[in-house]
Amino acid sequence: LAAMQVGTAHSDPNPNHVYFNSRGIWATYVIFIFITHFIVLSIPFISMALAWTLTCQIHNVITYFWLHWEKGAPFEPLDQGESRTLTHWEQLDDGVQFTANKKFLLVVPIVIFLLTTFYTRYDQIHFLVNALSLVLLAIVPKLPQLYRVRIFGINKW
Amino acid sequence: MSVKHEEQFEPTPYVVAIITYIGYVMLAVFGHMRDFLRNHGFEKNLIATEPARTKDFVPLYQNFESFYTRNLYRRIRDCWNRPIRTCPGAEFELIDRKSPDHGWSFEYPGTHTRAINFGSYNYLGFAETDGPCADAAAAATETFGCGVGSPRAEAGNLDLHTRLEATVAEFVGAEDAIIFPMGFATNALNMPALIGKGCCVLSDELNHSSLVLGARLTGAKIKVFRHNDIADVEAKLRDAIVYGQDRTRRPFKKILIVVEGVYSMEGSVTRLPELIALKKKYKAYLYLDEAHSIGAMGPHGRGVVDYFGCDPRDVDVLMGTFTKSFGGAGGYIAGSQHLVALLRQRSHSGLYGASLPAPVAAQVVTAFQMLMGRAGPPGEGARRLKQLEVNTQYFRASLHRLGVIVYGHRTSPVVPVMIFMPGKIAAFGRETLKRGLGTVVVGYPATPIIESRARFCLSAAHSLDIIDRSVQIIDEVTSLLLMKYSRRPPPAWTAGITREWAEAQLKLVDQQRRPHGAANGGPVPRRPVECRGDPPDKVADENDAAVKDNLAAVAAAS
Repeated sequence: LAAMQVGTAHSDPNPNHVYFNSRGIWATYVIFIFITHFIVLSIPFISMALAWTLTCQIHNVITYFWLHWEKGAPFEPLDQGESRTLTHWEQLDDGVQFTANKKFLLVVPIVIFLLTTFYTRYDQIHFLVNALSLVLLAIVPKLPQLYRVRIFGINKW
Repeated sequence: MSVKHEEQFEPTPYVVAIITYIGYVMLAVFGHMRDFLRNHGFEKNLIATEPARTKDFVPLYQNFESFYTRNLYRRIRDCWNRPIRTCPGAEFELIDRKSPDHGWSFEYPGTHTRAINFGSYNYLGFAETDGPCADAAAAATETFGCGVGSPRAEAGNLDLHTRLEATVAEFVGAEDAIIFPMGFATNALNMPALIGKGCCVLSDELNHSSLVLGARLTGAKIKVFRHNDIADVEAKLRDAIVYGQDRTRRPFKKILIVVEGVYSMEGSVTRLPELIALKKKYKAYLYLDEAHSIGAMGPHGRGVVDYFGCDPRDVDVLMGTFTKSFGGAGGYIAGSQHLVALLRQRSHSGLYGASLPAPVAAQVVTAFQMLMGRAGPPGEGARRLKQLEVNTQYFRASLHRLGVIVYGHRTSPVVPVMIFMPGKIAAFGRETLKRGLGTVVVGYPATPIIESRARFCLSAAHSLDIIDRSVQIIDEVTSLLLMKYSRRPPPAWTAGITREWAEAQLKLVDQQRRPHGAANGGPVPRRPVECRGDPPDKVADENDAAVKDNLAAVAAAS
């Protein structure tokens, strides 16, 4: 409801640009990864290697959808539709590249991947699956060269 | 005491922030799940959808944009837009509504709730159905009708407008003033008349959307500085002067610093003396939006300029509105003769929009005259100002002592109390209403994600008993909802602010008033300025010169 924002103080028309700078949000992100991992680890018939691979995959898929697939904002920002065709990654920090937030979000999946390769004891199939998902879902969409690029027009509108 | 010691913004506790984020993520997850169920037919779908024949077109609107409204706001929307059935004075009566289907629709059982009103911008208590203002407005309606139907520059100028402009200029301490029918338009449509391309606007981070829109409409270069950060303003000023315009490096034609007197979401006060010193040093201009501070701050109610004791001629553009403290509508811009003459010729609102309707103008003129002591019972203006000041400080001090986090400056009549978690937003709104307190709660995206708050707007219409009762209700509700997050002791200035102090301050004002028809030295009966459904009390003295003057002028014009 745009009416929710009228009358309020905002020099930035889209709160999606700045909320990731708030206190404690990085820690919350890491906490969510831990929670997911503990849930997966609690399932009795899954081996350690499979648990780590599952965590890595679930994390990459969910962050792909959250950051690189859903476009626009869940509320109506005051920017007259400029952000309707932008994914969340492109909206963060108003499109400025190499900010602290973007570096953090790039490093976390890499760290998870490294931990996963360790805990899967470098098994070939696990490595292949995790590496593919890391590169295709987590690293490539975050590159500045792919800012606002839509391959084959997928997800353009 | 400097401004910095009298205001505080305690940061969100770390654990609370994390729990708030987890709350929002849970709401988002459930929202997505429910959307999935609705879109695939497992749940009744009550949202608007596109007709089947346009399914393959580019979507007309994004379902995602209404995600928040549908899944968060709709469920708790009984906390906003509550219908009332009396005048919104110190107390009001709400029409009860119940939602059988979680916010999709409302049922009206026909009952009413009487509640204390902390949601209206009624700083001086002029929202009332009787009194000299109401009489003047009624008389003006009978003479001039309800609207004007023409812009000021064509056929829409009434002598009431000229009188109001003179009154405003005198009140604010400027040479001349010009009025507009809409406060938002005063900002948005006059900034383009003052500055254009080739100029620079330095705007505070938390400026109201009317100022943001006005700045964007001018076509000037906009630089945003951190809220109330004078060092940042100076740095950006120096950059603007040294580096000039973007590509050509030509000097800016004008640099305008745009700030508000009191920021209504934070309750903070601008650093006016430092800004005036800066603007004189660097030869910039200052635009001060006193929407929430005119009438509400300062010993004589003349705004932040009065509060800091600055010279009104130092501020180039003094803007304000009549909506908050004067019970009317519209806005004004006051300044030098030259500025106002220019605006009369060039203002977009003055040339194309209709002018201020006569009853509103009459209401506002009478309100100003009451504040200057020329209308109404003697000393009424001073009494209202004092009551607001006492109410504000007493309320804020009591809340600080409770242990909730209160933002803002000691004398700002807007009091934000922090809630933080999304679930508690609705809980606070509903629990306080159950106990008879009506307040406004705000959450994301109107505020930053970890700073949702309840906002209390103090009024001169509130009596000390009402404030005591509200503090008690807030104490109950915040204990129930575990909202007492403050880890700091109450600030130093709250030490002497008690009920006795408040009553002593109010008695001072009473004693300074001339006895009104009573024997010498007799106590003056203090009439509560409250809105009731009872027959009107005659607050105005018919022999009052100014009221007679007004009515005579209105009669003569007919």
